[in-house]
Amino acid sequence: MNDRIALIGLSLLLAACGARDRNDGADAQVRSLGTVEVTARLVEVPEGAVFHRDLYDYATILKYEVVAVHRGAVAAGATIFVGHYDPWKPRAEAADKRVQGIGGTVRRFRAGDLHRMALETPMDDVFMGGIVDKYFGKREGPAYWAVWTNEAN
Amino acid sequence: MSTHPASRFAVAAFAAVIAGVPVVDGTVDLARRVRPPVADLFTQPPTQANLRATEHAMEEGSAVARAVRPWMLAARFLGLRDGGDKVLRGRGGWLFYRPGAEYLTARPPAGGSMVNDALAAVRGFRDELDARGIRLMVVPVPNKESVYPDRTFRGGRPPAGALAPETAAFLSGCRRAGIPVVDLFAEFRIARAAGAPDLYLATDSHWTPAGLRIAVGEVARHLRAPAGPSAYAVLPAPVRRTGDLVRMLQSPAIEAAVGAEVVACERVVRAESGAPYADDPASDVLVIGDSFLRIYETDEPGGAGFIAHLARALGRPVASLVNDGGGATLVRQDLVRRPRLLEGKRVVVWAFVERDLRLAAEGWPVLALPDLPRRIE
Amino acid sequence: MVFTSHIFVFYFLPLTLAVYYLLPDRTGPRNAWLLVASYVFYGWWNPWFTALMLAVTAINHAGGTVIARPGAAERSRKAALVLAVASSLGLLVFFKYAGFLQVNLNHLLGAFGADGVRVWSIVLPVGISFYVFQALSYTVDVYRREAPPARTFADFACYIALFPQMIAGPIVRYGSVALALRERHCGVSLFASGTVLFMLGFAKKVLLANPIGGAADAAFGAAAPGAGVAWAGVVAYALQIYFDFSGYSDMAVGLGRMFGFEFIKNFDAPYRADSIADFWRRWHISLSTFLRDYLYIPLGGNRRGPVRTYANLAIVMLLGGLWHGANWTFVAWGAYHGILLIAERAAGRAPAWRALPRPLRVAATFVLVLGSWVWFRAETLADAAAYFTAMAGCGVPADARSAVLAAQVFEPGRLVPMAVAGLLLISRRQAHEWSAAVTWPKALVAFAVFLVALAAMAAQAFNPFLYFQF
Repeated sequence: MNDRIALIGLSLLLAACGARDRNDGADAQVRSLGTVEVTARLVEVPEGAVFHRDLYDYATILKYEVVAVHRGAVAAGATIFVGHYDPWKPRAEAADKRVQGIGGTVRRFRAGDLHRMALETPMDDVFMGGIVDKYFGKREGPAYWAVWTNEAN
Repeated sequence: MSTHPASRFAVAAFAAVIAGVPVVDGTVDLARRVRPPVADLFTQPPTQANLRATEHAMEEGSAVARAVRPWMLAARFLGLRDGGDKVLRGRGGWLFYRPGAEYLTARPPAGGSMVNDALAAVRGFRDELDARGIRLMVVPVPNKESVYPDRTFRGGRPPAGALAPETAAFLSGCRRAGIPVVDLFAEFRIARAAGAPDLYLATDSHWTPAGLRIAVGEVARHLRAPAGPSAYAVLPAPVRRTGDLVRMLQSPAIEAAVGAEVVACERVVRAESGAPYADDPASDVLVIGDSFLRIYETDEPGGAGFIAHLARALGRPVASLVNDGGGATLVRQDLVRRPRLLEGKRVVVWAFVERDLRLAAEGWPVLALPDLPRRIE
Repeated sequence: MVFTSHIFVFYFLPLTLAVYYLLPDRTGPRNAWLLVASYVFYGWWNPWFTALMLAVTAINHAGGTVIARPGAAERSRKAALVLAVASSLGLLVFFKYAGFLQVNLNHLLGAFGADGVRVWSIVLPVGISFYVFQALSYTVDVYRREAPPARTFADFACYIALFPQMIAGPIVRYGSVALALRERHCGVSLFASGTVLFMLGFAKKVLLANPIGGAADAAFGAAAPGAGVAWAGVVAYALQIYFDFSGYSDMAVGLGRMFGFEFIKNFDAPYRADSIADFWRRWHISLSTFLRDYLYIPLGGNRRGPVRTYANLAIVMLLGGLWHGANWTFVAWGAYHGILLIAERAAGRAPAWRALPRPLRVAATFVLVLGSWVWFRAETLADAAAYFTAMAGCGVPADARSAVLAAQVFEPGRLVPMAVAGLLLISRRQAHEWSAAVTWPKALVAFAVFLVALAAMAAQAFNPFLYFQF
């Protein structure tokens, strides 16, 4: 009887412990692509910003708080706005015929998550497609284009 | 009492399925070196939003579900003629966009129609452009379902265009406000009655080259295009196109079964050099809109869409800004981000599909355009 | 969490079953695990909802404890009963009807030229109507000495929260599971019958109710339906609500069997009823018997003469209608059924009606029930009136849009499931009994339709059960 309870407890403990390990998000791509490299926390995912698109792929502007700057001229602690191409999809599957060279390990966008990103700016010079910008008219400064987006914690 | 072996089978089979799927999914995730989405339950606070997001990730990320889904969609489509939430199967191999059909037949949502918002946004845009000496011309593009209602159902009788109440209210609202509006609904109805070739593709939600030529003719007439030979010529450029409605079904088996349509496009080229049509950002005409402008233009064959043909009809290149699925607002936001496109303009032609009057991705906010020096006459 | 969801079928259920059967074969730890699992299941919608359920549980457990205390005076027993019932119903009224009452109060104040009150925006906790009724049944049954008090708070909380039936019934009376909460065993045969019933219920929902619901949605959402579309739409809705709700009930009963419980059968071929009274003996049986035992009979039932009987019927049906939701359409639905029941009772065993062949009586009853579904499905009374007008052929004349609407309603993807549903209605077989003894053909059929339904689930958009809103 006690063996059974111990087995259940051990399984749940293993599941909980195995769920998270330390990860600074660094890899060869994030270190080399783009002109800016930061680790930043996703502040929020506005209602309706990330959704399944039937046909057309947009970039969506998301709001980040910079935690660490690895490359480029961005102030730590600054709020930046980053355009992610088709954020419904895992980054590893987001690139397509129209937008190539993007990727990363992030599978989905959740408020509070930490991302290590290689960025390009200004976004309009890099991406000519549709942009879903829930911060339109409310934000200042350039939008960055996410080239590579890795999970970090 | 002994247990019937069928009972043991039922229990074993049921258990194998409900426990087998997560085992397979977890194994696939581990083999791909990605963390199973279920692990998120242990790494984030159990808020409503996080729980929904995790559940969604588990459904979308399931290797088993992803393998099964296209086949089930194909079985439904081919066996039951069921196109799911997005596609309505008509007769004669025609497919329709279900939200477009619902726009025509369903009551506006409980929150009310967006027509008044749309009219306010159009008036605001017209006023902003007026202040810069630029004229606005609005081109609501008919849904395929409004032009071919008779092809949705066996009982339908051709030719029979249909005007959705919200579209009718929008057209009359524009006229009352003195905003030039191109009524393609009437033009398409007349063309069908006169026996025109198909104005829309059978398996795509967009118009055919024949449909866009009528639209171009109407817009050019409103812009008072000069008569006489154009600086542009056209070359035949047939393309094979898998319809967007087929691709929406997200099943390779359906794509294979339905096949591609051959579309008789005409590519616009410079008459003297044969060079492909190219926009001129400095043109006095700016065309903005959605995928009805993109089809054949940046899609294959290129330079054969509404924009190039309008340029040919006007005899000079135009400037353009296109946002797929964002003709109501996203394209105006793009314009606000790229205000230099308005320099030197006399006319902005704004085309968007009529269903945006109810379904516009970002609604119909009134947007202020950035200041520019007034154009010197 | 929804039964027909990926997370329930492939994660929650196997984990819950595995832990349950790994635990010692005693109801203490197993009830405790079921309680934990049920709170996770319920909290999945919104973790804050669990606090409300816990409050209802605590109130009624405390009430039951006071009522059942040895030597308790009748006065204190009654006081505890009134307190528990009033506070539970108070919570139900607040969360479910406060906004409705405020809106209607504002209409009334507006009629007299007075300013309205601010209407609160209150989130309706899923399943509150069901678990409040279950909690009340406990307190009342203990008061009537028809059921023993719960052994422990955990047992009682487990009964209230029991995930198989907590969200949309059947409304399980405490007395019917009190013994099982203390002592139960589940052999392979019972478990297998549970799996077969669950698989059939799952298929009813995913393969029949969901696609058929598309036709009903198109017809009831239409700006100008013609007569044909309107009739097809209400038939589709009748099929959808039956296969949706009875599918859910089958899954609930099936899950109950997997954990050693036997819940009440909630449907008994309701569309084979040959009168409205017969319909109510067959439709949502756990609710109709609840209303009978806790409202109709205490009001006097049919023991105080015809006028009082009709009044009691009217009260029960109006409140039964209101129980389904805070909308005048549900009140109208209840009133409609109440009028029909009163008319039937007044007519007595009218020879003319009895002289009709049974198939004709069944058909006529079905048509009357269809009328009730118009009230039930419409969003407002005005919508219902417009829909009846369309059914009568007096709606907007057909135009080019009619073909597009017909295309949405009469799709083969809707018609084929409707035809299958119709055949199942005609068939005398019912899942509840059919699954009781599992044989090879039954096991194979249930497993095959389950696999197809799982594949269909993977390809369908999210589709919650209709009765979750009540």
